[in-house]
Amino acid sequence: MVRVLILIAAIFLAFAVRAASAAEAPDRYKLRTGIDVSYIASSGYTSWTEGLVGKLRYDDNNEGLMISRAFADYEFQLVDTLKVHAAVEAYDDDIGSTVDFTQAYVEWRPVPRSENRYRLKLGAFYPRISLENVSAGWSSPYSMSSSTINTWVAEELRTVGAELSVSRRPAMFGGAHSISLQGAVFFGNDPTGSLLAWKGWSVHDRQSRFGDELPLPPLPLIQPGMLFDDQDPYVAPFREIDGQAGYYVSGEWRFNQQLLIRVMHYDNRADPTADEDGQYAWTTKFEHIGAHAALPGDWDLLFQWMTGSTVMGSVVNGARDLDTEFDSMYLMLTRVYDRHRLSVRYDRFEVTENDQTPQDDNAEDGNAWTLAYFYDFSDKVSFGAESLSIKTDRFSWQYYGLDPTRTEKQFQLSLRLRFGN
Amino acid sequence: MRFSRLSALRLEDQISRIAARIIGLFVWMFIVTSAFGSDVDVFVVDKDGQPVADVAVYAMRPGEQNDLSAPTASAVMDQIDKQFVPHLLVVQTGTPVEFPNSDTVAHHVYSFSHPNKFLLPMYKGEQHPPVTFEHSGVVSIGCNIHDHMLGYILVVDSTTYTKTDENGKASLSLENAEDYEISIWSPRIRDVDELLSKTVVMSGNPGSEVKFHLSKKLSPPHGGQSGSMSWSEY
Repeated sequence: MVRVLILIAAIFLAFAVRAASAAEAPDRYKLRTGIDVSYIASSGYTSWTEGLVGKLRYDDNNEGLMISRAFADYEFQLVDTLKVHAAVEAYDDDIGSTVDFTQAYVEWRPVPRSENRYRLKLGAFYPRISLENVSAGWSSPYSMSSSTINTWVAEELRTVGAELSVSRRPAMFGGAHSISLQGAVFFGNDPTGSLLAWKGWSVHDRQSRFGDELPLPPLPLIQPGMLFDDQDPYVAPFREIDGQAGYYVSGEWRFNQQLLIRVMHYDNRADPTADEDGQYAWTTKFEHIGAHAALPGDWDLLFQWMTGSTVMGSVVNGARDLDTEFDSMYLMLTRVYDRHRLSVRYDRFEVTENDQTPQDDNAEDGNAWTLAYFYDFSDKVSFGAESLSIKTDRFSWQYYGLDPTRTEKQFQLSLRLRFGN
Repeated sequence: MRFSRLSALRLEDQISRIAARIIGLFVWMFIVTSAFGSDVDVFVVDKDGQPVADVAVYAMRPGEQNDLSAPTASAVMDQIDKQFVPHLLVVQTGTPVEFPNSDTVAHHVYSFSHPNKFLLPMYKGEQHPPVTFEHSGVVSIGCNIHDHMLGYILVVDSTTYTKTDENGKASLSLENAEDYEISIWSPRIRDVDELLSKTVVMSGNPGSEVKFHLSKKLSPPHGGQSGSMSWSEY
C-alpha cells in the first residue's frame, strides 16, 4: 500500500510538471491517469498471482478494501507526425516492481500523400487484438476484468518490434468504409504460451509489465530433477530466447462507427527446443477474429475468437513434450443509459493436449460470466460494480490435491478516479 | 378632305405610338425580369425516388470561368466533436476557407487532393491563415491524428451554388435567356459524371424544375463519430 501511495504522489508530481510546461505547448502533451479504489470479495482457489492455480487475481487471503490499480498513460508529440506513447501500471503485489511500463513506443504518422495512410510503430506495444481495452491505460470502458482472450493478451503478449499499417477508404464506397492492413515483426515473446498451457485461461484486470515475473503453479515437471527443471518458478513472457523474430499480419474493416471486424495471424516463430536463463521458448501461433457491432436499440455487441497452439520441447511420438492447442471466444452486450453502463459477457475457453508427457496434463475446459455496471458521477469519478463467475474443469488441479472442477467467483466494487487532459 | 386626311394620319400616328409603347412595355418587362432572373428548383432523388440531402448543386454558363467576379466572402470548415462541419462545403474558386478547431483536442488537417493539396500545422483552437483554393475540383480533407475524420470541399468555377435540403431540393437563382449547365456532386453518388450535369435554357417561366434521378445506389453516408463506439484510437 505504501508503494502505491508513493506512486500516487509521483502522478501528482507528473501533473505539476505538466502544468508547468503546459503554458508553452498545450497541445503536445496528453497525460491520463487513473486510480481504482476497490472492495473485493473473492472465493476460489489461491490465486495464480500468489503462485497457485486460482484463475482470478484475488482470493480469500487477498481481498477487502484496496487500491486495485493505478496507471499513467502519457503521449507526447515530438513533432506533428511523431508521437511517443508510454504507459505504466502500479500494482501492490510480488510479481514485479510497484511501477513498471506496459507499453512504450514511438508512432510515426506521415501526412498522407494519397488515399493510403501509412503508420509505423516502433517499440513495445499491444498487438491489435483487444476490442475491449480501448481507453487510456488499456482500460476497458465495458467491464473491470477482461475477457479470457484479452486477459491472456495482457498477461503474455506484447510486441517488441515494428508494426507497419496502411489504411484507406475505398473510393467506390464513398467514405463510410475503411480498410487497413498491418504487418509486424517483433522480438521477445518467446516464453509466451507458458502461462496459457501451465496455468490456463484467466479472467482479471492485471496487465503484465516488462519486468514482471509471472508465477507458475508448483508444476511437477519443473521441480528439480524433472524434465523441465531449468524453468524458473515464474514466466518472464517478454524475453527473447532464440534470436528469431516473430511476426503477425492483421487486417481490419470498419464501417463508420457501426461495425468493425479484425483478423490476425500470429506466430512468434520461437524455437521450441531453446531455453535460456530459466525460461523456455514456446512456439505459439494463433488466429484471431474480432467484431464490434452497433445493434439497434443502442446496444453494442462485441465478439472475439482466438484459436491456436503452443508447443515446447523435443518431439516424442509425433508430438512435442508439451503440445497444446487453445481456443476461446466471448460475446458481450453492452449499453449506455445516460450516466449508466451495463455490460454482460459470456466467455468459453478450452485447452487441449496432444502430448503424452506424464505428470503434465494441461487440458482444461470452462466458461465464465461477467456482469458489470458503471455509473459516471463526472468525467473524473465513476462507480463500478462487477460480478464474475468462472467455472473450470482442469485435471491437473488434482496434482495439488484440489478438486478438478471448480467455480470461482469474485465481486468487486470500485471507485474509479480518472484525471488528465 | 384635308382635315380628314390629317385626322387619319394622326390616327395612324397614334396607333403606332400606342403600339410602340406596348412594345416598349414588353421590352421593359423583359429587361426587368431578366435583370432579376428567376429561380430554378433542382431536385435530386435516388434510385428509389427518395430525396437525397446534402448534395452540392451548382450552375455554370459556358465559358463562365473566364469572367467570374472574385469571391467576396471567406468560408468556414469547423472541427466539432472530431468531425468536419460541414461535411461538404461548396465554394467558388479562389475562396479563402478557414479551418477553426472547436474541439478540446488538437487536429492536424491535410488534403492530398491534387492540385489543391495543403497541410496545416497541428493546432487547437487558434486560427491559422485561411487556405485559398485556386483550382476547381473535389478536395478531400482529413485529420492525420483522427483517421476517421473526413470532409469534402467542392471548389467550383461558379458564383451560383448551394446544397440540397432534406427534401432533396435546391434553389438556384439564374439569369434568364442564358444557357446553363447545372451539375450535382456528392461523395455518396456513384453515377457516371455525364449523368450528373444537365443543360437548361432559362426561359423566364416561373417554376422551372430540373430533376436528377440517380440510377445507382448511393454509398452509405459517412457517420463520423456518431454511435456508442469508442474505437478510433487503438
